[in-house]
Amino acid sequence: MMHCTIDDLLAFKENEASGWARQHLETCPACRAELEALYQRIAALKALPVRRPARDRWPAVRDTLRAERRRQRRRWGAWSLSAAAGIALLLLIRPGPAGRVDAAELERVKQQSATLEAELERYDPDQRVTSGRTAALAAALEDRIAAIDGELAQVGMPEAPLRGAELVKLWQERVDAMQQLMTVHVTRAAYVGL
Amino acid sequence: MTISLAVPDILVARARAGDLEALEALYRAFETPVYNVALRMLRTPEDAEDVLQETFLEVVRSIKQYRGEGHLWGWIKRIAASKALMRIRRNQVRATEEFDEETVGAHVGHADGAPGHEGPGAVAGAPARIDLERAFERLSETSRSVVWLHDVEGYTHEEIAELMGKTVSFSKSQLARAHARLRRMLDAEGAAP
Repeated sequence: MMHCTIDDLLAFKENEASGWARQHLETCPACRAELEALYQRIAALKALPVRRPARDRWPAVRDTLRAERRRQRRRWGAWSLSAAAGIALLLLIRPGPAGRVDAAELERVKQQSATLEAELERYDPDQRVTSGRTAALAAALEDRIAAIDGELAQVGMPEAPLRGAELVKLWQERVDAMQQLMTVHVTRAAYVGL
Repeated sequence: MTISLAVPDILVARARAGDLEALEALYRAFETPVYNVALRMLRTPEDAEDVLQETFLEVVRSIKQYRGEGHLWGWIKRIAASKALMRIRRNQVRATEEFDEETVGAHVGHADGAPGHEGPGAVAGAPARIDLERAFERLSETSRSVVWLHDVEGYTHEEIAELMGKTVSFSKSQLARAHARLRRMLDAEGAAP
């Protein structure tokens, strides 16, 4: 007697069985038992115990992300000073006397940011040993800078144009956070005599 | 393992804005399900942990691209499956799978000589859980991946074929061969009478 193959049973489960297989399953207890066993096997697979990883991999993910953000921040700092970016950003600032003030202020604060960026290069945390507390403080500030950079990147989006004053404020926040980061690094370097 | 993980929209929004605490919260929410998908597809817990790490690196890098279409778990799971399959392709260099697959037949012999199962009385009842897990672990990584993605995670053969860069018929034949082998191993272990 011809019985269903495993392909027939899997096809039946997917509602893709041939007419012969469907008819055969109605009359053959052995094949129906085989189909039931297939369903039970799948149910048992779904019920396999949940396993948990032995090690926490989040610190490795987080550290990689932070290192990438630092690199992005440096690229962003360099990019923001480029002439093309300057023109693009100035276009977002309203014309008129207030706009001119914003533009000048924006250039000043961006220059400040670039200077701090260059200074921070000297304190690359990837290459220095830091205490846990200092590392946490520096990481929090770097996260803050990354968040500001995220907001600044949105300036290029047509749906979220910032006004000049708001743009200056955002860049000023970036400079403030970088100054704090600089203080952390300078203090640590002085402490360990580097 | 069927998982329906609901994550607050506000948490996803914060994660998309780059908030590290929100990203860690997402990691904590999906760490175990991602690890389990990887573990079931791969041979070792170490490989599964590596895939967990690779998956979340991808998640934190590209969460801004997640627009909220479909469930977040579906999006993360697809990344995890893709990373696990990439690792399987790397592992295949070891060429152990070929030997594994050669020992597996697509059909279980019939008592009466026909292809398919072994006739009346050959199968009854659910296999014991531990035996099934051990038998499942003996399948090749490719077979395990197809079985897990299809039968447990609910992927279609079309989706599996796309993820694997193979054809739909490859996915279907892998599934059939895996089930035939599972059944045979369970019979041999006496899990089914």
